Amino acid sequence: MKKIIFFLLLFLIWLDPLLAQVNLKGTIVDDQNLPLPGVSVRVKNTFRGTMTDTDGTYTLSALPTDTLVFSMVGMITQEIVPGNRTVINIQMETETTIMDEVVVIGYGTVRKSDLTGSVSSVKTEDLLKVTSLNPEQGLQGKVTGVQVISTSGAPGAGAAVRVRGVGTFNNSSPIFVVDGVILDDISFLNSSDIASMEVLKDASATAIYGSRGANGVIIITTKTGTMGQEKASFNVNSEFGIQHLAKKIDLLSGREFAIISNEIVAGSYNNVDLVPNTDWQDLVFTTAQIHNHQISVTGATKLTQYYVGIGAFIQDGIIDKSNYSRITLKLNNTYNLTPFLKLGNNLTIAPYTQQNAPNVTYSVYRAQPVLEPYYDDGSFAVVYNVGNPLAQLAYSNDFRKGIRGVGNIFAEASFLDSFTLRTSFGIDASYNKSTSFSPAYTVYNPDGTASQQQNILSDLYKGTSDNLNWLWENTLSYRKTFMDIHSLDLVAGYTMQESTSEYLGIPGENILRDGQDFWYISPSYIYDPANNVNTIQSISNGVDAGLYYSMISYIFRANYSLDNKYIATVTFRRDGSSKFAKENRFSNFPSFALGWNIGNEQFMKSVDAVSKLKVRASWGIIGNEKISYYDRYARVQSSIIAVLGNPDAPIPAATYGKSGNPDLKWESTTQTDIGVEVGFLANKLMGEFDFYNRVTNDILVELSTPGHLGNGQGQKVRYNAASVLNRGFEFNLNWREKRGDFTYSVGLLGSTIHNEVLEIGGTSGVDSTLIGGYLGDGRPVTLSRVGLPIGAFYGYKTDGIFQDEGELDAYPHSAQAGPGDLRFVDVTHDGILDGRDRTYIGSPIPKFIFGFNGSIEYKGIDFALDFQGQTGNKIFNGKEVVRPDPYNFEKHVFSRWTGPGTSNSEPRPSFGGYNFTPSDRFIQDGSFIRLRSVSLGYTLPARLSQKAFMQQLRVYVKGSNLFTLTRFTGYTPEIGSYDVLSNGIDYGAYPITSVYSVGVNLQF
Amino acid sequence: MKTKISISIILMAFLLITAGCEDFLQKDPQGELTQEAFPVTASDALLATNAVYSTIRNWAYHSGGYPIMDIMSDDAHKGSNPNDQLPTIGPYDKFTHTTTQDGLDRWWSSLYEGIKRANVVIEMVPSINMSTDLRNRCIAEASFLRGLYYFDLVRAFGGVPKVTITTPPTKVPRSTAGEIYDLIISDLEYAITNLPEKSAYGPDDAGRATKGAAKSLLAKVYLFRKDFINAEKYALEVIISDEYDLEPVFADANGKLGEHGVESVFEVGAMEVDGAGGNQYANTQGVRGSPNRGWGFNRPSLDLRYSFETGDPRLDATIIDLGETLDGILILGDGTTPDETLDGDQNVIEVECYNQKIWYPGNNTTTQWGHNRRLIRYADVLLMAAEALNENDDPDGALLYLNEVRRRARQGNNSILPDITETSKGPLRDIIIEERRHELALEGHRFWDLVRTDRAATVLGPLGFVTGKHELFPIPQNEIDISQGSLEQNPNW
Repeated sequence: MKKIIFFLLLFLIWLDPLLAQVNLKGTIVDDQNLPLPGVSVRVKNTFRGTMTDTDGTYTLSALPTDTLVFSMVGMITQEIVPGNRTVINIQMETETTIMDEVVVIGYGTVRKSDLTGSVSSVKTEDLLKVTSLNPEQGLQGKVTGVQVISTSGAPGAGAAVRVRGVGTFNNSSPIFVVDGVILDDISFLNSSDIASMEVLKDASATAIYGSRGANGVIIITTKTGTMGQEKASFNVNSEFGIQHLAKKIDLLSGREFAIISNEIVAGSYNNVDLVPNTDWQDLVFTTAQIHNHQISVTGATKLTQYYVGIGAFIQDGIIDKSNYSRITLKLNNTYNLTPFLKLGNNLTIAPYTQQNAPNVTYSVYRAQPVLEPYYDDGSFAVVYNVGNPLAQLAYSNDFRKGIRGVGNIFAEASFLDSFTLRTSFGIDASYNKSTSFSPAYTVYNPDGTASQQQNILSDLYKGTSDNLNWLWENTLSYRKTFMDIHSLDLVAGYTMQESTSEYLGIPGENILRDGQDFWYISPSYIYDPANNVNTIQSISNGVDAGLYYSMISYIFRANYSLDNKYIATVTFRRDGSSKFAKENRFSNFPSFALGWNIGNEQFMKSVDAVSKLKVRASWGIIGNEKISYYDRYARVQSSIIAVLGNPDAPIPAATYGKSGNPDLKWESTTQTDIGVEVGFLANKLMGEFDFYNRVTNDILVELSTPGHLGNGQGQKVRYNAASVLNRGFEFNLNWREKRGDFTYSVGLLGSTIHNEVLEIGGTSGVDSTLIGGYLGDGRPVTLSRVGLPIGAFYGYKTDGIFQDEGELDAYPHSAQAGPGDLRFVDVTHDGILDGRDRTYIGSPIPKFIFGFNGSIEYKGIDFALDFQGQTGNKIFNGKEVVRPDPYNFEKHVFSRWTGPGTSNSEPRPSFGGYNFTPSDRFIQDGSFIRLRSVSLGYTLPARLSQKAFMQQLRVYVKGSNLFTLTRFTGYTPEIGSYDVLSNGIDYGAYPITSVYSVGVNLQF
Repeated sequence: MKTKISISIILMAFLLITAGCEDFLQKDPQGELTQEAFPVTASDALLATNAVYSTIRNWAYHSGGYPIMDIMSDDAHKGSNPNDQLPTIGPYDKFTHTTTQDGLDRWWSSLYEGIKRANVVIEMVPSINMSTDLRNRCIAEASFLRGLYYFDLVRAFGGVPKVTITTPPTKVPRSTAGEIYDLIISDLEYAITNLPEKSAYGPDDAGRATKGAAKSLLAKVYLFRKDFINAEKYALEVIISDEYDLEPVFADANGKLGEHGVESVFEVGAMEVDGAGGNQYANTQGVRGSPNRGWGFNRPSLDLRYSFETGDPRLDATIIDLGETLDGILILGDGTTPDETLDGDQNVIEVECYNQKIWYPGNNTTTQWGHNRRLIRYADVLLMAAEALNENDDPDGALLYLNEVRRRARQGNNSILPDITETSKGPLRDIIIEERRHELALEGHRFWDLVRTDRAATVLGPLGFVTGKHELFPIPQNEIDISQGSLEQNPNW
C-alpha cells in the first residue's frame, strides 16, 4: 500500500501554472454562413469553455498560447491557437464522412482505422434486444466467431461463451474485463449500464492479456457522463414479459404407452383405452413473469462526470420454486481535479436472491403417462422408478442469496503533453449463502406401503462461500504525432492480482420443525446418535481451488501509424502465476501485427465506390492457465482408514495421494489472423472478413496415468500434453441506408469452425485418448482423439435392424441381440462385435454459425429482427439412453419394428438394455435457425414528448426465442456445457423459454 | 531537468514494486500436506503404514470386484441372476474374457496403489527419527504387503513393471517374472527378520503383518516357484512356532467367531459398514433376495458339490442352499433368479446357492460388509507343508499334516474322512490337491492351484481354458494403450 501513496505523490508534481490571460471573442457560422448556436468552445486540456449563443457568438478568456477547440456534433472539430488575435471567427464544415469509431482495446483505446487486430464491438442497443439476465446473451448472433450457448433456462443460469471455437480441454470461456477489472463471469452486470462490449479475437488484440487471452477477451465499458453535458439526463426503462415453454417434447400418451408396454410384457394393461393419460409436461411447466426496470442519471458538472443507475431484474421460472432477482447499483464517477489529473471510480453492487427447483425436467420426461399425479384424497401418488415430479417440487426448498461488488478506483495524470500515467485498484468481492431444506415425507404406494420416494429424516444444508479478488494495474502511456504523419502510441505497465476464497458447508438432519423459522443449524442436527443423526463427516471447508492464486504481469504495446496508411503493432506481456512452480512460473506472450489502409492511398481516392479498404495481419502467442492451484502439488491423502485390532476398529491412515506434476507450465495458443475491412458507397455497405488459424499447444489436460504410478483406479493427473487446432473464416456484412424519413439496415454474419485435436498425451507416457461425456449411469459418450474434434461423440454405428434369425446369423452380433434389435456395425472387421467397434459418430461442434438481422425506422416507428443459427453439429440425446427402469418413451418409438419388414430404423420396444447402448441411434442433427429477437417500437414525436417535459418517449413490444426451425426432438438444440468434453449432450436440462414483453423508455 | 527527475522517479517506482514478487506468487496448499512434508514423525510413519493396509479392503483389489478367481475355476460360476453383469463378469466363467474385460484395469491399478503406499513407508520411514524397533516394524509391515501385492500381480500377469520408489517414471517396461519373484522373496525375508510373532502384538494391533504371516506367504511363493525345499522350510517354521492351531469348528475358520482366532494367519479386518471400514468382498457374494445380503456372485458349482467325499461336513459349511437356516435366518434366495438352470437337453447345470465361506451373521447388506476375509489360514499352511514334504520325498511327514486337516474336518465323526495312508508321490500329490479343493473351496485358491500344478489344461480345458494363454491374464488394454509401446502384451492375447 505504501506504493500507492508513492504514486499519488507523483501525480501532484504536475499542477496547472496560472499565467496572464486575454479575452477572446468571435462568431461562428455554418457552411451557408448562418450563425451557429450551441457550438462548444473550449481551451484544450482545461475545463474552461463556453457555448455560442443564438447569434453564434462567444467570449472566452485564454492564453495566447492556448489551443481553442471548436466542436459540435455533425461538424468537423477545429483547433486554433489565438496568438496575437483577440477576435476569432470560424466557419464550421459539415462532417460528411462517418466519424472514425474509437474502439476500446486492452489498456487503452484506438481509432478503428488504426486497429491491426480483430476486434468486434457491440453497443447497448443490441445488448438490450433480448430480455435476459446476462449481457453476454446480447453477443449471440451479433459478433462473428462468438457462440453463446445457454446451459439451462433456469432463472439466473449463465451461458457458455466460446470465441473462435474450443481451444482447450479446460475452461474454454473468455475472460471479461469490466472497466479494467479482469473477471471470469459478469452475472452481476446489468445490460443497461453497459456502454459497449468489444470482443478481442486475434492474438494482436488479446496478447496484451497474455496468459489469459487465449480464449478471447471481452472488454466491457460501462456508461459514464460526458464532459460538457451539463444537463442531467434521466433515463427510465421499464419492461414486463411473459415466458413460456418454447416447445414440448413429443412423448407417448397413456394409451400409446400401454400399447407399447403390452408388447414388451404381455398383459401389462388389460384395456389400453381405459388407462389414464397424464401429460406431466403440462402439469409442471407454467408461464412465468419477468420484470426488468432501470433508472439512471447521467451528466457532468464542471469537474465531475457521473453515471448513477439502479436496476431491478426479477424472473420467475416456468417451473415452480425457481426464481431469481437481482438489484444492481451502479456508480461511475470521474473527478477532473486539475486538467492533468483525474480520479475516478466505477462501482457495481449487486445483491441477488435465487431459488432453484430440483431437476424435474428429467423426471417429467421419464414419468409414465399412465400414472395419475394424485390419489383421490389429494395426496401425491407414486410414480414408479422416477418419483412424482410434483412431490419432488413440493418438498424441495433450495435458496441461494449473495452479494457481489465489483469496482475500481483510478487516478490518471497527464504530463509533458503526451504522457499519461494511470493507476487503478480494482476488486471483485462476493459472498454467497445457500440454504436448502427438505422435510421428512413419504409418497405411498396404492397399497399404503411407503414408496422409494421418501425422506425419513428432514434435511437442512447450509453453505457459504466468499471470494475476494483484487487487481492493481499501473500503466504509462505515450501518445504523440510527429510531423503530422507519424503517430505513435505506447503503453507499458505492471499489474498485480490476487484471488482468495473459502467455502464452508454444514449438513444437518432431523430438524425440530419444518417451517422456515427453524432453518438454522444446531449441534443436535449434526450429531445425535439417539435419532440416528451423524453428518459430521460431511462438513466441508476449504478454498475454492480455481479461485486461489496470484499473478504478476508486465505489459507493453506499441502502435505506430504512418500517414494513416501503414500501421504496425507490437504487443508483449510477461506473466507470472502462482499456479506453476518457480521454474515455469513466468512466460512471455508476444504478438506482431501489420495493417494497410489501402483506402487512404492516393490511387484509391479516384475509386469513389470504395470508401474504405484495409487489410491487416497478425501473429502472436497467448496463454491459458485456468487450472486449480494445487494441480502441481503431490498432496497427502488423509481421508483413508485401516481396519485393525480385535475387535475390528477404524485406524487413521495417511499416504501419498495421486502424483502431482511440478513441471506444469502455461498452455499457449499461437494464432494467426488475416483480415480485410471494406466500405462501399460512402460506407453504406460495410464488410469485414477474417481468416484465422489457432493452434493451442501444451494444453493442460487431466490424463489417465499408467497403473504402475500407483495413483489408483480412475485417477487423473494434469499434464501439458495436447494440441488442438481451430481454423475458420468469418465474415460480417452490413448495409445501412437513409432515404428521407426512412432508414433501414440489413446485416449478415457467419463463421466457420474447423476443430481438430492434433495431439493428446504426447511423449508424456500417459493416456493418448480422452474420454468424457459421462451419462447418468456412468457410460461415456465422447472420445477426443487425434484427428477428431474435441469431445467427439463415440459409440456404435447402427446399420438397420436384424429382421430375422437368418440376418442375425449372417452378421457379427452381441449375444444380447435378437430379431428386431439394432444391428451394430463391426467396424474392426474382425468378425467379433465388442467394445472396440465403438467409433466416431458425430461432432458436437458446429461447422458454421451464422446470424442475420434487419431493422427499419420510419418516422417514429422502429422494427428490428434477429435470426441466428448453426449447422453441422450433432446432439447426443443423453436423456433417452439412460433407462435402468421402465420409463415413458419419445413418440418415435411408436413406429417400432413388430416383425420382419416392419421397420429398419426403430427397433422392437424394450424398457432398456441392448438397444439403449450408446450408438448413433441417439445422435440427432443439431442444426437450427432461430428467431432470436423481434421488436417493434414507437417513439412519440419530439414536439409531443417535449410538451410532457420529456426528451424522448418510446413504447415497444418484443419477443425472444419466438420460433426455432430444427429437427432436434428436445426442448432446444442449443445445448451448452462448460465442460468441453460433455458438449452437445442433452441431459435433460431446464428448458429455454420464449419471452414476450412490453416496455416503455423515457428520457428527460 | 524536472522532467528527467520525474521519469527517473517513475522508473525507480517500477523497480521497487517488481521486487519481492516470488513471495507473492507462492500459494501453498490449504488444509492439506504436500508430500515433501510427510511422513516426518513417528506418528506419520504409523499413519503411512496403516495406509498400506487400507488397500486390502479396496473392492477392486480384493477380488471382491472382478475377477473373483473362483469363477474361473471348476468350483464356481458367475452367479447372481442370469443377466446381471453378464457381459462384464460372464466371460471369466467361460474364458472368453478379452484384453478390455471389465475389472482387469481396476485390479491392476489397485495393486499398484497398494505398492505405492508400501513404497512411501519403505522409502521415507528409514530417515525418520524414531524408535528403531517401531521403525523396522513399519518398514517390515510395508515390505510384507508389497510382497503380497506383487505376488498377486506376478501370478496374474507374469512379469510386470517393477516399482520400488514412490515416484517412478511414466514409462517402465515389464520385468521378468523371475525378477518380480526375487523382489517378493527379499521383501518377505526382510519382513520375517523384522516382524514380531502374532502373540507379540496387543489386541489393538491384531491384523497387522506377523513373522508367521510372512513365512506362510513365502512358503506359498516357493510353491509357485516349485522350490519345495524352501516351501517346506518356511511352512514347517510356521508350524513349529506354536503360534497357530486349527479352529475346533470348521465353520469358525472363516466365520465371525474365528476372527483373529487361532487359525488366522493373515486376515483382512472389516467393519459392518457399507462404506469406509467395510469390505464389499462378502457383499458381492452375499445371498441375493431374501435375506438381502448381497449380489450373489461366485455361485458354487455342481462339480464342486459332487466332488466332496460322502459325508464330508465341509460341504454343508461351504455352500448355502435355499431353504437352509443360518444363525436363525431362513434363506429363500432371489425371485428373479431361477432355482435351477437347465442346458439345452434339460439337464440341470446350476442350482441357486451361495458361498457360505463369506457368511456373516445378520439379515441385511450392511452387516455382510463385516466379514473378515482370511487371506492365509493355518489349514492352508498345513496343506502347503504336506505338499512340499511329499515333493521332497517325505510322505510320512506329508501325511502327518494332511491328516491333521482331515481330523478337524470330520468333527469327531470317525466314520467319515478316514486318515490317508497313501505314500507314493504321484497319487499322494493328487490327494493333497483334492484336499486343498475341499478345505479351501471358494477362498480364492483353486484357480491358482490348478495352474501352478499344471492341471489347468485337464480340469479347466472343458470350460474353455486354453493352454499357453489362460495361465496369465492379459495386461489391461488401456495400460498397453497408455504405455505408448513400453508394455508388451502376454502371449496369445
